[in-house]
Amino acid sequence: MRPVLGVLACALACGAQDAAHENWPAYGGGPSAWRYSALSQVNRSNIRRLAPAWVFQTGDVLGGLQSTPIVVDGVMYVSTAKNRVFAIDAATGRELWHYFYPVPREFGLIYGPWNRGVAVADGRVFMGTIDNHVVALDQKTGRELWLVNVEDMQQCGCNITAAPLVAGGKVIVGVTGGDSAHRGYLTAFDVKTGRKAWRFWTIPGPGEPGHETWAGDSWKSGGGSTWMTGSYDPELNLVYWGVGNAAADFYGDARRGRNLYTDSIVALDAATGKLKWYYQEVPHDVWDFDAAYECVLVDLPVNGRMRKLLVNVNKGGYAFVVDRTNGEFVSAWPVAENITWIQGVDQKGELVGRSEPVPGQTRLLCPSIGGGRSWNHAAFSPRTGWFYSTGIEWCQEVTAQKEEPKEGQNFFGGVFQLRPPLKGKAGGHLAAYDPVTGRKFWSYESKYPLLASALATAGDLLFSGDPEGNFFALDAKTGEKLWSFQTGSGHRGSPVAYSAGGRQFVATPSGWGSAVAGLLSQLWPETEDFRPGSAIFAFTLPEEGR
Amino acid sequence: MIWVALLLAHSAAETGSAARGEQVFAQSCSVGYCHGKAGAASRGPRLRGRTFARSYLERVIRDGIPNSAMPGWKGRLTDQDIAAVIDYVASLATVSNDPPPTTAGSAPAGPAPAPEFRGTAEAERGFRLFFDATRETRCGVCHVSGGRGIAIGPDLGNLAGKPEGEIAAVLRSPRARHVVTVRLRGGETFPGLRVSKQGSLVKFYDLTTPPPVLRTVSQAEVLSVSDDAAWRHDAYLAPYTPSEIDDLAAYLRARRP
Ligand code: HEC
Repeated sequence: MRPVLGVLACALACGAQDAAHENWPAYGGGPSAWRYSALSQVNRSNIRRLAPAWVFQTGDVLGGLQSTPIVVDGVMYVSTAKNRVFAIDAATGRELWHYFYPVPREFGLIYGPWNRGVAVADGRVFMGTIDNHVVALDQKTGRELWLVNVEDMQQCGCNITAAPLVAGGKVIVGVTGGDSAHRGYLTAFDVKTGRKAWRFWTIPGPGEPGHETWAGDSWKSGGGSTWMTGSYDPELNLVYWGVGNAAADFYGDARRGRNLYTDSIVALDAATGKLKWYYQEVPHDVWDFDAAYECVLVDLPVNGRMRKLLVNVNKGGYAFVVDRTNGEFVSAWPVAENITWIQGVDQKGELVGRSEPVPGQTRLLCPSIGGGRSWNHAAFSPRTGWFYSTGIEWCQEVTAQKEEPKEGQNFFGGVFQLRPPLKGKAGGHLAAYDPVTGRKFWSYESKYPLLASALATAGDLLFSGDPEGNFFALDAKTGEKLWSFQTGSGHRGSPVAYSAGGRQFVATPSGWGSAVAGLLSQLWPETEDFRPGSAIFAFTLPEEGR
Repeated sequence: MIWVALLLAHSAAETGSAARGEQVFAQSCSVGYCHGKAGAASRGPRLRGRTFARSYLERVIRDGIPNSAMPGWKGRLTDQDIAAVIDYVASLATVSNDPPPTTAGSAPAGPAPAPEFRGTAEAERGFRLFFDATRETRCGVCHVSGGRGIAIGPDLGNLAGKPEGEIAAVLRSPRARHVVTVRLRGGETFPGLRVSKQGSLVKFYDLTTPPPVLRTVSQAEVLSVSDDAAWRHDAYLAPYTPSEIDDLAAYLRARRP
């Protein structure tokens, strides 16, 4: 029953420095995005007695509830689809204050309405908005302190749905826009004043290295959005961010070249925003296979040598593992069975056997545009040393078409229609993998794609939710389902664990909605009628159960 | 009833308009996460196989749906293309041909996309410079023009029609008539624009570095507000060459106020 050596090495060396404890202080749990809580009051032996403690209804149901709640010193901060922020007593569910952002009457963008969470630091609560602003609120009262319009959303065709990342006294936010004629960027603002500290353009301008990877003027509308939340390594003082697809999504003839830094992980100096290194997962993307999902930072032995790694699951269905000190490729492994857009990834990280959409023709490719996995986040447990990720089995017919960019307008270059997979049944799974080799230890199968994030805890539990409204706990070691609770609406957000008044809580958003949730109806027509919702459910053990 | 609708649907599908509508639908409506290929649903609702009144479709397509991702297509698509798209939707769904609504009383339009400016070559260059996304401190970051941009600095409408030399002169050295120096008790000082005062709270745009930041501070935090603004607008014009300034002047002169 002794853990294997590699795991033990990690448990000591990577310690639990990025575990969340009493609080859930940041989007990914900590700056390394493990989504792991060191709390173990709720564990495999007592999970069956876990019961709801309170429910908080936000009332904002359109678009679902995709948030990661932040918990600091007994207060939970949640944002909803239309940029409403609530501060909630994390022990009782009582509202402490709320802030309703004045959303524009019409925003007419395909990105939203939804919001994936706030950041809390320095006495302030930060949120990106549906109309491309960043707002800072007083953590105690919810009063607005500063508000900045990152860029005119009608012009850039972009807005903010992701949670900000706070690093080194700056609040860093990405923008959507990768399916618009848009040039992506990441912007850092001073936490106190809201003044811009730096901007990193994900597509290099004239004279900058990498600009030559874009034909003609295509760099001006090449996408490369930064629509999720990055990670931070305070020791290296590097901010890691995943960059989205190149635009037009399916039509690449007008942007011949590698199209840097789309579909890349970029490592930036937190103080200046200067590029330290990059790793491009998909050169010249013509499938909409973003590298925009979370960057999980882990220290693990590779061939006997401890290395500082970064794991990023690409939307195309491969997890890429790179050395986070220099961007060197380490390994790549699949999280889905049905992958046909490439035959594989070689020892050097090169894509092998690319199968590209052809303008004017219809081709069957897997996975679908919804991804071999959606953005909902993986979890890493330092106790098992395993990486827990969902995966989706589905395909699509893509018809690429030539399209001219119109600044800020949709820029897809094609249409698609979902199709069942070639192998097995359409559906989803949540599985445990070795983060370096991709060896699979177990897999929990689901009728529908799983679109909620995973939460790992020191109780050796893995929590997540499904589209039908079940919030469930699996044994992190075996994948066996130990507990489940029906919350009344599907899961598209991210559960968290925290402690308040000496009791451990596990809380989850419940509320069906989102772009990919909408796609499901092409394969599962009944999902069109799945009920929306927007509530936080908090669970704890009854007094006598602890 | 159903028969009539089906017949109508089929006849619409056969017209050239529906064929054009299919093209427009593929490019504008089914793209990405919207209504799916041939209206099969995606993140936007399914259209195929449903029942709509033509007037409803027309209104929603033209004006969009408030507080949603559905944009108004008025201004983005021509009237013919909107009609063609409706004909195409009629080939996928059941569309009842009720009389088209009068334009009066229909919902107000959402923000149409940036209207393209048409004028002399010089003025058109000026328009593009005003909103040039490759410049982080372009004019549109702080000024609205032609219903586009962000309204922080003054509306430049009063410059329309003025002699170009005069406009270029204002551009080279606009007087700071509104910018003030805000000093806070914490020791912070910034060039600001007064925005509003509500009870004990005051709002200023902080112009220290673009984009301007809307700051809300309590009256008690404000030490002083004075007119001796050291802020210089020139910094934003410096990146433009003299001939580009002339282009901007030509644009500001030519556009309708
Ligand atoms: C960072 C914000 C910002 C940017 C960028 C900016 N302006 Fe201004 N502009 C202002 C502010 C604020 C004022 C008002 C100054 C005052 O009156 O104190 C102003 C004033 C002016 C005036 C004088 C208007 C009048 O009625 O006196 C002109 C003309 C002008 N700007 C043109 C431009 C042009 C052209 C550009 C682009 C090259 C530009 N501005 C870029 C903020 C900006």
